[in-house]
Amino acid sequence: PRPAPRLPPPGSPGKPAPLCILADSREISSGPDVISALKALHGVKVQVCSLGSCDYIVSSRLAVERKCQAELLNGAQRSKAAQRVQQLRSKFDRVCVILEKERARAGEAQKGFHRTKPYDGVLSAFIRAGIRVLFSSCQEETAELLKELSLVEQRKNAAILVPTEVQGPRRDALQFYLSVPCVSYVTALALCHGFRSVKEVADSSPSELAARARLSQQKAEELHRYLRYGFDKQMLPERVT
Amino acid sequence: MANETTPVRAGAVNVPLGHVIGNEKWKGSQIAQGIQGKVKLILEDGLGIVDFHLSNRTCILYISEADLVAGNGFKRRLVRFRNASSLQGIVIVEKTQLSDQYFPAVQKFVALELGMTLLPVANQGEAAQLIIQLVQEQAKDRASNPFLNQKGPRLLEASVFQTVQQIPGVGKTKALLLLEQFGNIHQICNATLQELEQVVGRAVAQQIHTFFTQTK
Repeated sequence: PRPAPRLPPPGSPGKPAPLCILADSREISSGPDVISALKALHGVKVQVCSLGSCDYIVSSRLAVERKCQAELLNGAQRSKAAQRVQQLRSKFDRVCVILEKERARAGEAQKGFHRTKPYDGVLSAFIRAGIRVLFSSCQEETAELLKELSLVEQRKNAAILVPTEVQGPRRDALQFYLSVPCVSYVTALALCHGFRSVKEVADSSPSELAARARLSQQKAEELHRYLRYGFDKQMLPERVT
Repeated sequence: MANETTPVRAGAVNVPLGHVIGNEKWKGSQIAQGIQGKVKLILEDGLGIVDFHLSNRTCILYISEADLVAGNGFKRRLVRFRNASSLQGIVIVEKTQLSDQYFPAVQKFVALELGMTLLPVANQGEAAQLIIQLVQEQAKDRASNPFLNQKGPRLLEASVFQTVQQIPGVGKTKALLLLEQFGNIHQICNATLQELEQVVGRAVAQQIHTFFTQTK
């Protein structure tokens, strides 16, 4: 058998790879200045993909969610935010929320920010849950924070080094991997590029998965278990059949 | 700043739930008045560079507008804290019209370089409200935190069913047949072409087999 293709070693000395950030396709409309500032001012390679679960992925383990500060002022948005963050936590080892000030509409004065108890409550809950919170006054500042976060991650050898595009039949494999609850978009890319076939992924041990898809041991074990999860038709919720 | 010789007082980590131990220098301040009544505030001297101790090994360092305008003294204070203590440090910073311009640089230093938590407030009154929420969150059961995963036994049937439907040529009906026959995804991957043919017919069996085994 041929030797398995390996991912490039993290942080090859000498030439640091250019920073790479994945952006969700919805950000083209909701955060156009974030993406253009990342590209034009910071020279970051931005790959727009359909991430679905989060707004940005800045490393192999860190997801970033961009939130409007005003959204958290009343408690109503809390459960929606919680659902999204919980989903992120199942896919990523680290989660960061950037709270961005709402942009004043043309002709409208910038609204004053009146802090509320639910707002302080959400901040406290984020901190208790180990979610990092950063504050931004505009989209350009958000871009700067994203760049800084990915620089920190690069120093810790967690930068995104895997090719961000997938060709041909591997696109089906990508969709297959993305449907696994504990697999993030970066992990799915790494599985596509780090293994010769889907069968090879399924047959790998947790340590092989961890090494070749650059996963934490815990996430690798979760994936390994998922592929062997004994399906019981009786346990399938009726609405999905 | 009081007592620069002992950066962080030992023993101040045992704060009862719902209490705050505050540095004596805050006596009579707007923060102290704001907190009192909502949570129990005990003022003590000898806390060094820490302003407030919360329970759960968390403490607060407060940076005022004046600290920011005065220059880099606050940075030295935070670095000393980091070097002297393993407590979780939350930095509350006054972000006012006057100090707004300093905020991005402060955030970069505190949150990204030191890895501490940074929370901006407009004034001491807001800081008091925030501290009350932080204390109340600490006093709550972790399970009530909406952002923490409730790690319990979780049924994965719906997800597994979805995953199998990502195989080209496989919809709901064939996904169910495959899972009932082979039991899990790993077994479907390892099924022979003949075994697959018996469940889903020749054409789709070939598609499935190719999907799992093709190398490019």
